Amino acid sequence: MAMNISENSKNGFKMHEHTETNGKLNGNHGSKNLPSEECHNSNGTTKANHLNNVAKNFSQGQKDILRLIGQHLRSLGLNKTTESLMNESGCMLEHPTASNFRNLIMNGKWQEAEAALESLKSFIDDSSDFTKMKFLILEQKYLECLEDSQIMEALKCLRDELAPLKFNTERLHELSSFLMCTDQNNLKILSNWAGKNDISRKILMDKLQTFLPPNIMLPPHRLETLLNQAVEYQCEQCPYHNYKDKFHIDDWSFLRDHICSKDDFPSICIQVYNDHCDEVWYCKFSNNGKLLATGSKDGCLIIWDVDPDTYKLTINKTYDEHTHGASVVVWSPDDQYLIVCGTEDCSEIWIWDIENKVLKKRINNNHDDSIITAAWMPDGQAFVCGGTKGHFYYCDIDGTIKETWEGVRVRCLQTLPDGQALCADTLKRIRSYNFKELTDSNLIQEDFQIVSFTLNKAGTQLLVSAAAQGIHLWDVKDKMLIRRFQGSVQNTYMNYATFGGADEIYIASGSEDNKVYVWNIKKEHPIAVLEGHTRNVTCVTWNPELPGMIVSASDDGTIRVWGPKNKFSLDSNGFQSEPECMNGFSSTRTDRSTPV
Amino acid sequence: MGRVFLEHTGGSCLYSCGNCDTVLTNKNELVSSRFNGATGRAFLFKSAVNLVVNEVQERVMLTGRHFVRDVFCKKCSVKLGWMYEFACEETQRYKEGNVILEKALISESIGF
Repeated sequence: MAMNISENSKNGFKMHEHTETNGKLNGNHGSKNLPSEECHNSNGTTKANHLNNVAKNFSQGQKDILRLIGQHLRSLGLNKTTESLMNESGCMLEHPTASNFRNLIMNGKWQEAEAALESLKSFIDDSSDFTKMKFLILEQKYLECLEDSQIMEALKCLRDELAPLKFNTERLHELSSFLMCTDQNNLKILSNWAGKNDISRKILMDKLQTFLPPNIMLPPHRLETLLNQAVEYQCEQCPYHNYKDKFHIDDWSFLRDHICSKDDFPSICIQVYNDHCDEVWYCKFSNNGKLLATGSKDGCLIIWDVDPDTYKLTINKTYDEHTHGASVVVWSPDDQYLIVCGTEDCSEIWIWDIENKVLKKRINNNHDDSIITAAWMPDGQAFVCGGTKGHFYYCDIDGTIKETWEGVRVRCLQTLPDGQALCADTLKRIRSYNFKELTDSNLIQEDFQIVSFTLNKAGTQLLVSAAAQGIHLWDVKDKMLIRRFQGSVQNTYMNYATFGGADEIYIASGSEDNKVYVWNIKKEHPIAVLEGHTRNVTCVTWNPELPGMIVSASDDGTIRVWGPKNKFSLDSNGFQSEPECMNGFSSTRTDRSTPV
Repeated sequence: MGRVFLEHTGGSCLYSCGNCDTVLTNKNELVSSRFNGATGRAFLFKSAVNLVVNEVQERVMLTGRHFVRDVFCKKCSVKLGWMYEFACEETQRYKEGNVILEKALISESIGF
C-alpha cells in the first residue's frame, strides 16, 4: 500500500508539472487551452493504467471501503474471500511488512518482531510511539517467559531489554514485582493478563495497531467502530429513544435508519386515581421506583405500591395527619424515611419511617416558622430544611438542629452528591452552602423568581421552574443557562418539574393549561403533550427505574399514570377499569396525547 | 384553587391584602398617599407583587382621561385597586405602570 501511495504521489507530482507547463503554454497561446487540457487528462490516465491495472479505477474512498470490508471479512475468518477480494480489486489490506509483523507477534517470535518493528519505524511519526510499541512487545515477552517459569529469560528481558528503554518506570517496577509470583494463576490475576495465548497476543496486536498509520495497517475493528458510531448517532437523533441499555451492532438493523415510534414513549394515560379528596399537590417516586408518595391539600400522604409490569398503583398506606396539607415530600436516599412539609403557614415537618410504617419524628421548632422545603444529605443521616421566613436548618436524622443559617428566605432546597446544599431564595438566586466548612457561594442568578428547582442524579444539571416563564435548564459546573423549554404555562401556581427517562435525557413538567409537557433535553419544543387532567398540573414525577412511566398530580384531585401506547393498547383491561374522575369530568375520551 | 406561588417584597412596613393578608408591597414603593378611590383614600405605589390584572379600560378621573386595569389579589381574588396603563395628559404620565391600592381594602403591618 505504501508503495502504491508513493507512486500515486509521484504520479500526482508529474501531473502537476504537466499542468504547469500548460499554464506556460496558455500564457503564450491562449487558444491551445482546451486541447492541451485534454491531452493532460489522457496522459494522466495512460500513466495510471501503466502503473496499476485495476486499482486506479477506484477512488481513495472506495479503496478505503474495500479495505474495511476486507478487514471485517478476515475477522470473521473468511480468509479466502478476503484474499480474492484484495486480488480482484488490486488493493492491499495492509503493508506486507505490517502483515509480517502481525504474524510474528501472533506466533510469539519476539526477536523477529522487533526487527520488523525496526523496518516499520519510518512509518511511525512519533519516536516516543516507537518506544511505547517496543515496550508493549517486550512486556508480553517478559510475561510469557514468567508464565513458562523461565525466570532467567524473564530477568534478562527485564534488565537488558525493558529497562534500557527508560520508559514508564512505574510500570517497570510493577512488572518486576511479578517475578515474586509463585504460580501462574496468581500472575494472571495480579497482572490482569490473559496468559500466553492468542487472546493476549491479539490484545497486544490491537494496542500496537493504534500506533501505526492507517495506510500501513488499519486500526483494529475499524468497520465495527464506524458502525457503532452510526448506532450511537442514530440513537441520539431519535426523538423518542428511551432505553437504558446501549444497543450493540449485533442486534441492530443497518438496512434503514433507526427511529423509535412515539408509541414506545409514555404518551397515553393508563390509570386515573381519585383516592385523594382534594387537590393533589405533590408526587414523587422512591429512588428504587417501587413506591410512589403523593401529598394532597386534604391532609393525606398516600404511599402507593408500583406494579412494574402493569404500571398500576395500589395503596400501601395512608397517613392523614397533615392538617395543613402535604405539599412537598422527600425520600431519603435509601427510601426508608420520608420528610413531609406543609404549606407556607405550617411550621412543622414530619419524618415518616416508611419501612416500618410509623412516625419517626414530628419537628416543630418555632411556631412562627414556615418550613416548605427539605432535602436529604447523600448519606441519608442528615437533612436540610427551610422556608421564606428566613431560616435554613441543618438537622440530623432525629430532627435535632445542628446548624442554622439565618437570613436566607428559602424557596427550594436540593443537595449535591458531594454534600453541598443548593438553596433557591427569594432574590432569584440559587446558592450553594457547605455545612462542613460553613461557606456559601453564588451558583445561579436567574432573572425571575424561582418557584422550584430539581437536580439530575449526577448533580450536573439543574432544572428551574421560573415564575411566569417556564422551565429553564442550567449547567451546575459552568453556571450557565443551557435552554429554555417552550410550551408549558406557569403564572399563578406552584410547579415541580422532573428529569426522567433513560439516562435522564428527558424533562417533564405540569402546566396551568392542564397538560403535561415532555421535552428532550436537547430541544426546546415539547416532544409530547399529555392531555387528560382538567385543572392545573402541579407536579410530575418520572419513575427512576421504569423509563416509560410518568405520574402527574393535579388540582383536579387526581393522579394520572402515563405510559407507552404500545405496551398498553393491547391490555385493554387496564385502560377500561379506569376509575371515574372526580368533579364529574369524563376523562376517557380526552386521554390522548397530541403529537407535536 | 391550587397552591398559589407568592412573592414577598420584604421591607419594614408592609402592605397586605385586607382579606387574606397576602403581602403586596412595602413603604419604599409608596409614591403618594393622597389619592382617592371608590372607597375613599388610596395609595399610589411604584410596584406591587402577588396581583393579577384584568383587561384595560378607559376611565375619566379627576386628573383626566386614563387607560387603567383593575388589580386583584392573586390568592383570594378580591379587588384591591387599579394600575395605570396610559395617561392621556402629559402631566399625569408619571403614574404609568404604577399601582393604586385602596386604603380600606389593604392592611398595614410591620415587617419581619
